[in-house]
Order: sequence, then C-alpha cells, then structure tokens
Amino acid sequence: MTPLSLALAHSLPEVILAVGVLGLVLYGALRGKASDGPVTEIAVGLLGAAILVILLGFKEQAILFDGAVIDDGFGRFMKVLALIGSLTALVMGQDFLARERIDKFEFPILVLLATLGMMVLISAQNLISMYLGLELMSLALYVVAAFNRDDLRASEAGLKYFVLGALSSGMLLYGASLIYGFAGTVDFAGIAAATQGHVSIGIIFGLVFLMTGLAFKMSAVPFHMWTPDVYEGAPTPVTAFFGSAVKMAAVAITVRVLMTAFPGAEAQWRQIIVFISILSMALGAFAAIGQTNIKRLMAYSAIGHVGFALVGLAAGTQEGVFGVMVYMAIYLVMTLGSFAAILSMRVAGHAVEQISDLSGLAKNNPLMAFFFAMLMFSLAGIPPLAGFFAKWYVFNAAIQAHLYPLAVIGVLSSAVAAYYYLRVVKIMYFDEAAPAFDPPTPALRVVLAITSLFVLFLFAYPALFIDATATAAKSLF
Amino acid sequence: MYAAILFLPLIGFLIAGPFGRQLGARPSELVTTSLLFVAALLSWIAFANVALGEEPGSVALLGEWFSSGALRAEWTVRVDSLTAVMLVVVTTVSALVHLYSIGYMSDDPSRPRFFSYLSLFTFAMLALVTADNLLQMFFGWEGVGLASYLLIGFWYQKPSANAAAIKAFVVNRVGDFGFLLGIFMVFVLTRSINFEQIFAAAPGLANTTIHVFGAEWDAMTITCLLLFMGAMGKSAQFLLHTWLPDAMEGPTPVSALIHAATMVTAGVFMVARLSPLFEQAPHALSFVIFIGATTAFFAATVGLVQNDIKRVIAYSTCSQLGYMFVALGVGGYSIGIFHLFTHAFFKALLFLGAGSVIVAMHHEQDMRNMGGLWRKIPFTFAMMTIGTLALTGFPYTSGYFSKDAIIEAAYASHRPMAFYGYLMTVIAAALTSFYSWRLVFLTFFGKAQWADEGHGAAAHSVGAAAVAGHAPDAHAADAHDDHGHHGPLNPHEAPIVMLIPLAVLAVGALFAGLIFHSDFIGEGFNEFWKGSLFLGPDNHILHEMEEIPHLAALMPTIMMVAGFLIALYMYILAPATPARLAAAMPALYRFLLNKWYFDELYDKIFVRPAFWLGNLFWRGGDGAIIDRLGPDGVAARVVDVTGRVVRLQSGYIYHYAFAMLIGLAAIITWYIVGGVR
Amino acid sequence: MIAALFFYLFSAVLIASAFLVITSRNPVHSVLFLILAFFNAAGLFLLLGAEFLAMLLVVVYVGAVAVLFLFVVMMLDVDFAEFKQGFMRYLPVGGAIGAIVLLELVLVVGGWRVDAASLANVASPAPPAMSNTLALGRVLYTQYAYLFIAAGMVLLTAMIGAIILTLHHKVGIKRQDVAAQNARTPKDAVELRKKSFRQGV
Repeated sequence: MTPLSLALAHSLPEVILAVGVLGLVLYGALRGKASDGPVTEIAVGLLGAAILVILLGFKEQAILFDGAVIDDGFGRFMKVLALIGSLTALVMGQDFLARERIDKFEFPILVLLATLGMMVLISAQNLISMYLGLELMSLALYVVAAFNRDDLRASEAGLKYFVLGALSSGMLLYGASLIYGFAGTVDFAGIAAATQGHVSIGIIFGLVFLMTGLAFKMSAVPFHMWTPDVYEGAPTPVTAFFGSAVKMAAVAITVRVLMTAFPGAEAQWRQIIVFISILSMALGAFAAIGQTNIKRLMAYSAIGHVGFALVGLAAGTQEGVFGVMVYMAIYLVMTLGSFAAILSMRVAGHAVEQISDLSGLAKNNPLMAFFFAMLMFSLAGIPPLAGFFAKWYVFNAAIQAHLYPLAVIGVLSSAVAAYYYLRVVKIMYFDEAAPAFDPPTPALRVVLAITSLFVLFLFAYPALFIDATATAAKSLF
Repeated sequence: MYAAILFLPLIGFLIAGPFGRQLGARPSELVTTSLLFVAALLSWIAFANVALGEEPGSVALLGEWFSSGALRAEWTVRVDSLTAVMLVVVTTVSALVHLYSIGYMSDDPSRPRFFSYLSLFTFAMLALVTADNLLQMFFGWEGVGLASYLLIGFWYQKPSANAAAIKAFVVNRVGDFGFLLGIFMVFVLTRSINFEQIFAAAPGLANTTIHVFGAEWDAMTITCLLLFMGAMGKSAQFLLHTWLPDAMEGPTPVSALIHAATMVTAGVFMVARLSPLFEQAPHALSFVIFIGATTAFFAATVGLVQNDIKRVIAYSTCSQLGYMFVALGVGGYSIGIFHLFTHAFFKALLFLGAGSVIVAMHHEQDMRNMGGLWRKIPFTFAMMTIGTLALTGFPYTSGYFSKDAIIEAAYASHRPMAFYGYLMTVIAAALTSFYSWRLVFLTFFGKAQWADEGHGAAAHSVGAAAVAGHAPDAHAADAHDDHGHHGPLNPHEAPIVMLIPLAVLAVGALFAGLIFHSDFIGEGFNEFWKGSLFLGPDNHILHEMEEIPHLAALMPTIMMVAGFLIALYMYILAPATPARLAAAMPALYRFLLNKWYFDELYDKIFVRPAFWLGNLFWRGGDGAIIDRLGPDGVAARVVDVTGRVVRLQSGYIYHYAFAMLIGLAAIITWYIVGGVR
Repeated sequence: MIAALFFYLFSAVLIASAFLVITSRNPVHSVLFLILAFFNAAGLFLLLGAEFLAMLLVVVYVGAVAVLFLFVVMMLDVDFAEFKQGFMRYLPVGGAIGAIVLLELVLVVGGWRVDAASLANVASPAPPAMSNTLALGRVLYTQYAYLFIAAGMVLLTAMIGAIILTLHHKVGIKRQDVAAQNARTPKDAVELRKKSFRQGV
C-alpha cells in the first residue's frame, strides 16, 4: 500500500463521515423541503458504519498524513464513545426536534460535522490538526446550540457559547504559538522530545494557555461558566449531545496532548490538572444543590464528573489513563440514559424540564422511575452500579500516584454530590404525583432501558469491558 | 452439559420471576418444574459419568468475573465426584419438591413467585456446589441465604413468618461473617482464592503462625475455625441453630428442600470441599467434633417434647447435621457426605410426608390434635414409616449404613473429643428413635383427636394455653388457612402429584445406603471419589472403623430398638405416661420444651442490649451530638456555599469571560511566583 | 538597520491601532483602525520575507473582510455606547488582570532564546531559491492535504451555520425565480387584444 492509500484506509471512518456529509448537504439542498426527511436516518447509518469500521478495522498503531494523525487504540476507543454519543443523541432527539418544529435537515448534518471534528480532534498528532478538529467541532456546536433560533434562550445560549468559545480558541491558539515558538515544532512527538529533561517557562506558559482552551471544552472550572446556561438554553437533544460526545472528544484530546506531547512536563501540568479537578469537583457538588431545572442540574453534574475524570489524569500513570477511559465510557452511558429520561419529560405534548415535574413518577410510570433512579444512583457512585466502578478506578489511580489529598477531596465532594442525585430519586418516589408524562417514544425507551441495565449489571461481568479499555489505555504508553 | 445443569434453574427463575404474573400460575409451575427435571436427569448422567464412571473431574471456565491485584475471581463449573454427589442431591430433591409443590401450593394465589424463588434457590445452590473458588462459593452461599429468606417469609402477611425470615437472615449473617473472614485469611495465606492453588499451598502452611492481638496463633486453625463458623451458621449448629426451627414458618416444601436436604448441608459440603485445609488443622477438627456432637445431642433432646410436627423434624435435621459434622471432624469426610446423601432422601421424605399430613389435616400442625390417621391416609403413613425407619437406622435402610458408620468412625478415631462424639451420637441415636416413633405414634395411632372437636381458632388457643406461654407455632398456618372448611374435619389423602415424590424419595430412603455404601465409604472409596476429598497421610479412619469391637458397633442398633420400645410404651401401651413424667420433672420438661432457653438467652444477651445500645446511640449520640454538629450543621453550611456559588452564575458573558481570565492569570501567576518545579 | 527601524515602526503602529480599535467611540473608526492594523501586520510579514502571506492579508482581510465589516457597521445602527456601559466599571479589575498577564508574558518572552535544537525541528523549512507561493503550494496539497481538507470542512460548517441561523424564508414576499423568468415566453406574458379606436379600455 502506498502511504496515501494506507492513510485513507486508516481514516476510513473520517472519510465515511466527510463524504457522507457532503452528499447529505447536496441532497438536502436540492430536496428543498423544510423537514429533515430521511437525512437523520442516513446520518445515523453513517455514524453506525463508522463505528463498525472502527470496531472491525485496524488493530495496530499508525501515524499518518506526515504526522498529522495517529490511529491508535486509545483514539479508536474514544472515537467509538464519541460516535455512540452522537448516534444516540440523534436517535433520541429526532422526535423532540420534530415536535419543536426545528427538524431541519441541517441538524443531522451539523451533528455529523461536529462528530467529524471530534474524530479529527481525537486522533490529532500535532497542534494544527488538533486546532482544526477543535474548530470544526466547535463551529458546528455553536450553531446547534442556537439551532432553535426563534427561541430566545437558545439564541442566547448559542451566542454565549460562541463568544466564550472564540475567547478560549484564541487562548488555545496563543498557547499553541508559544509552544511552537519555544519547541520549534507543532508535532506532539517533537514537543515531547523538546521538553525532555529541562522544560522552559515559555513552554509552560504555552501549556497553560492550551489547557485553558481545552478545559473550556471539557467545561472544567474556572472555564465552565458557559455550561449551565448553554445546557439549559439549548434544545434538549443538543444538550444530550454536548453532555455525551463532546465531553468524550474534549477529555480524549486533553489526555492525548498531556500524555504524548508533554510527558516531560508532567510535574508541571499535574498542578494545573489537580487545581481544575478540585475546583470542578467542588463546584459541581455544591452549585448543583440549588438547581430547580433538570438540565441545569445535569450541567453542574457534568462539571463535577469532569473533575472526577481528571483525578485519574492527574495520576499521570497508565492506571490513571485507564481510569479516565473507564470513567468516560461509563459517564457516557449514564449521561445518555439520563437524557433519555429528560427527553421523555413531556406533559400533554409540551416538554417540561423542572425537577419538580418528576414528582411521583414512581406512581405514574414505575419502570421509567426505576431506570432513572438507577442512573441517578450510578451518577452518585453508589455500589454496585457502574458509576461506582468509574469513581473507584480513578481514585485508585490517584492513590497509587500518592495524590491522597486529591482522592480525599474527590470522595468528599462525591458525598456532597450524592445529595442532589438522591433528591431527584426522592422527588420521583416520595413526592405528591405531578401530572403524568406522555408515553415516551420507542427510541427513548430503548436507550433508557439499555443504559440503565448496563449500569445495573456491569458488575456481574465487567471483564470484557475492562479488558478492552485496558488494552486501549496501553497504546498511549 | 454441566453449564446446562447450572443454568436451567436460573432460566426457570428468569421466566417465572419477572413474567410469572403474565404467564399465569400453571405455566410457571410447568416451566420451572420441567426445567428442574431436565437438570436432575443431566445430574444423574453426570453422576454416572464422573463418580461411578471413569470420566475425570473437570473445571470449566465460564468467564472471568473480575481481577484486582492478586485476586482473580472466575465463574466456573467444577465437577468432580463430590460435586456430582451434591448435584444429584440438589437437583433430584429440588425437582421432586417442585412437583410436590404443584399440589401443596395449589390454593396459593402467588404460586409463580413461589416457584421462581424455588428455582432461584436451586440455581444458587448449584453455583455453590460447582464453585471452583471461594468467592463463587460465597456467591452461592449468600444466594441460598437470600432465597431461604424469601421463602421463609413467603407468607409475608404473617408477622411470625417475617420475624422468622429476619431471624434466619441475621443468624446466618453471624456465620457468614466468620466465613468471610476465613476467606480473607485464606487469601492472605495463599494469595489466591482458587481451590487448586489453595489446596496445593495447604500442606506448606501446616505450622505457620500469625500474629494477632499480641499472641502467635496457628494460622490454619484460625482459618478453619473461621470457615467452620460459616458452616455453623448455614448448617444450624449448636449456638447458631436458633433460626432453623423458626424457619418452619415457610411452606413445607421449602422446609423439605432448603431446611432439610440442601441448604443446611452446605456447611457440611464446604468443610468436605475444603478438606485439604481442615486436614492441616487438627484442633479445628476437634472443635468440629465437639460442636457436631453437642448439636446432635442437644437437638435430639429438644425434639423429644416438641408438639409441632414440623418442628420435631426440624430438630431432627439439626441433630443429623450434628452427626455429619462429627463424621467430618474425625476425618471421615466421605462418611459425612454419605450421610448427607442418604439424609437428603429420608429427611425430604419425612418433611414432604409431614406436608401431606398437614394438608390432610387442613393445615393443622400440632400433633396433639392428630392421631389415628393411618386409616385415613394409609399411603402417607407408609411413606412416613419408611422415612422413620431410615432415620432411626433400621438395618439395611440407608440411615443404617451412614449413621452407624459415623458412630463407628467416632469410636475408632483417636482425635481428642472423638469419644465425646461417640458418646453423644450413641445417646442421640436412642433419642432420635424415640422422638421419631413418638411422631409416628402421635400422628397416626391412638385416639383421633380431631374427630370430636371442631377445627378452628378455638382449638389453637386451647393448645397454646396448655403449653404455658409457648406455642407460637400452633398458629403457623392461620393466616394462610384460607380454604375455609367448616363442620367436622375429614382427613383425605393428598393429590397424586404430591404422592409421587414421596414414593420416589422412599425408594431412595430404603435403598440408597445399600447401593452406594461401598462406593462412598467402602472398598470403592478411591475409585469413587478420585481424590476430590483429601485425606492426610495418617488418616485411616475408614479402615479403622471396620475394626472396632463388635459391641461398640452394635450400640446404635441397640439404642434404636430401645428408643422404639420406650416410645411404644409411652404413646401406645400407656398413653398417660408422658403427662406424668412431665409433671414429675417440670423443670426438665420446660427446659427441653423451651429449647434449653436459647432464644430467651440470646434475647437477653444480644437482642435487648443491641436495642438498648442502638437507642442510646440513636437518640443521644446520633440525634443530639452528631446530627446537630454533623449532617445538619454541615448541610446548612453546604446550602450557604451553594447560594454563593450560584450567585456567581450571573448570566453575563463578560462575567464569564472574566472568570476564565482570572483562572488563567491565577495559574500563570502560580508558576511565576512558585517557579517551575 | 533599516529593517529594524521598519520593524519597530510597524509594530508600534500595529499595537497602537489595535488599542484604538477597542477604545474608539465610533465603530466606523474602529474598523478603519482595524484596517490599519492589518496593513501593519502585512508589513511585518514582508519584513520576514513572507510576501505571499502579506499579500493574502491585504487582499483577503483588508479587501474583503474589513470592508464587509464596514458595510455591516454602517448599515446596522448599533448603539455601541450601550455596549460600553460596563466598560469603566470593570476597567480596574480587567486592567489589573491584563497588566498581570502582560507582565508575566514579558517576563517569559524576555527570556526567549531561539536555540538550534528548535530550529532543527521545523517541519518544512523554506527551500532556497524558491518563491514563497511556490513553496507553500508544494506542501499545501501534499504534506498538509489532510489539514487542508479539514480546513475546508471548517469553512463549510461556517457557511452552513451562517445560513441556518440567518436565512429566513418569509412567506408573502415575492422572490426572483430565474428559472421561471427564463421559461417565460411572450405568449404567457403578453396578451394582445383588439380594441376599437377611440374608446376606453
């Protein structure tokens, strides 16, 4: 195989998405109707095809396109997670968008473009491909956040996200140029070589700016401020997309940059990670308590969970990366399940999103209440549900790296965070019944059931999942 | 095939459990029962192949469970001769009990639940006996505990059933705690929980010591004692036995399956399975003998005076389990397992027979209200008599081979406590014979007590009052007794589905000993067990027990006859004797009737102080000190913090941008001020 | 010497005009200062010998982007005074943070030494005796093809986004339909009628 054809073969999932997007744009534009028609179905098919190609495709590691891209186990794992997130968000959201009359064909196309950006981002091997991937993803996200442009809150959310995102992109670019200036290269491997031994303060500065940009995408404190507003304002399927796929990509690239480009500066970046991790966990735990809107609650929950995932990264070891990956995978499942439940919150055709609307769900729809309760318990990290294992692995890694204060703070804040998850359960089970929800669509039911059963029964046979993750984690070392 | 044996009951549970209500009662019964019969058939094939045939034992790995450091747990199906024996016992009795329950529970509204629990229990028990590591064994161990809890409390409308279920659960928890500690010890000593590794490492650990509480202890003794503690709980041995009689609150088929044939023998199985460990801990084995012998004697004495038909059999079970432990303690693991095997048949037979009697009497369980039933239900009478013969060790029935072997082995052994074991088991043999025949005579012979008095609550309260403050069991079936029957009682034989299991078990009770005794404990020992039971180099118990004096070997039979004659005299020839005896020795009578006052003792020692302590901590410690300074105070602070944090979220973009910039500046300043470290 | 002089000239004007972009009260002035900043940046590129980038900056940013800005600013009557209300309030805090970061950056960049090791890392050094344009063209479609395509996707996304967020299909508005216009024949459009002379219609 020539280098080009090999490279194309390795990036077949990206190629599928890119070509598919172009085809769908043409199709949608020529068709000229308002509703999305089969575009969503085709987009779902493309995402599914990409997942299959990754699962059945190459198993070895390869650096492609003159060092711009790497195809490795870690990347494939995180890509599959991101693809699952996008796919599920699309499937779950179709009905919602149709009811809100914003089911334009551009929506799935933008989701595909964002996903393509995530794939580029996750497999980035130099600063340029990282930036391009990030921008591709972000631009599409700005638009989908404001997709319901006639809705004031959605427009506001999109605008806020755009302005702050531009600021963070600027910082990231500034950091990248500092790093380029001091290391003389944009290549991750080259940067790693340049930071071996002595690390100049310039590179540290560049790293700080770079981390700022990435932390913004992960919504880690203090770069999280957009999160609650955007989560609340954006249409719910978009929020699900933000909470699932986007988080996967952001965390993946953070791990990759720090592990492959800056192993020499580990002592330095660990301080940043510990800092934002502690702030995120604490803020996620405390600020969520006062919330009355379930989407806003999920936003703070996301902030807290990113903090937990970063605990594993702070360890900087293979166990740590493994912990982060386990965490993200389980978090993906829990988030998708929770949003399936939130999307099902619909009274007499209108979407509701107050936590109090869940009152007495256990009487109106016991199965849904049970599934949602399991997801909440899992998010709170209660054994033997999957969320417990997620936390266990990252804390374990932190302990092994002797980051005892971090682990202790993590456990304490997860105890505080348990309060508001349990409050949701309490409201569902013990409060006076509110008006019953409309029956959820089959897609939502399936997603809710699968995710809840996953978190419920992961403990019975975790070996398959854990082994796959461990293998993928090895590829970074 | 082995996996099929294991999972068929689980499938039954998964069908009848969640979907039972949709399926309806009859399909649930049929599905679970037929699956169980298939499993039983497969088990017999496995038994023929592995134990009787030449096929070697195997360990099939179903999948990894998890691994954490050195700890590796797997899902396995280990099938060797010991497992094969247990498979046969468990699936056969379970299948028969399923069948029997179709008749026995025919008027219960929640039959699917009942059958799903039965199948769940069977699955857990099979997981226990097929385990190849301690953790899976513990999984099964807890699984059967759970199923037992659910089944004892099956009639959850009855407070007494709930109380009994909780009691069984809590008492077992004490034993399980020991078992868990034992597993931890094994893991600490061998860095493994897999049987192969543990057994390989066991001989090397014979004289190691551990340092705990400022003293050196023999590691294997401690380990085995802890493990045995688990067995004591599960097998209702002396001190942890109190839950078993109360467990009779459950439906009678449950008593037959769980509290006679299978679950309670899990402790025996566990000790036999771990024989390589116990062989290295002679002191622990002496303790096993002591507990076993004491239980055998103690339970038999209590059984003498009980009036509830099921309780008598329950104490008998307790006592027989004691026998098994005596056998294990003297090193005769195969004898213990042999007794387990035969006991499963005749005890299940007795329980199911008792169930048949209870059905005939319309859920009357007090034997003093029975009598003269043999004319009315002759088939049940015949079956009960066969069970009684086997239990008392009538020559050439199965009990004769296994029980006498235990007594002989106890005589032949040179271990400390072995003679105590011999003495107790011989006396208990007489007592066993007495209370067994007493049961038969009271139930089937004499004057028909039910004929002249109406059956109803009045009869119960009379019975209760007669036994000065103790006869809660007399009400056992009140809540369940919903197929109203007014007017005079007319005992009738149970339906055919209930009689078939009786007949099958009766065959086992009569001939199992005769057929298998040479394999289990005789010349065929090595070919049969194929090393699945471990005997130390100086353990010749099977050989030695053949060479004991003739009189010592004859003792159990003599005792059996003596017991029979006394019972015959007291309950047939001179029916007034028991009352006179009770009047002559009121203290002793009450002592026995109240089961040596164990429940009252535990109530005083454990239950009340625990409640008192709990109240103290709750009201004083938790409410007044911790809540006010802890959660409530902390919660108030948390709310304060939340309020402040939420106010940061102003909604203005420039505030957000400022927050980002401040964060950035803070991190950069940190590096400038602190320097790059 | 001359180069250094021009460097400082361009840099000083660049910074000053960038500052004025933010501070000037009239938005039209802001855009004009922005254009000035672009020109100076182009000058800096020229000094570095990157003539292609310099021209690109002038053509694209000045010629297209900035002029578009100018149109937008002039067409929309945005009240910038309202935007700047909070400016003075937050000036102390913002100024302090900016000053701190600036100071720290100066500290860092002050110690910048371009060492040989870094120079050796450069991915595509400009080949001698080749024009800027040619050198860029050589690597842009080969070595950087992946990134080039990715950048194309970014632009496509921006385009789609702009359309979806701004394009309103209002009902009741007559739009030009070129196809319909072209398909029209005199027969559809014109009708001839005989009318008698000297009479009203």
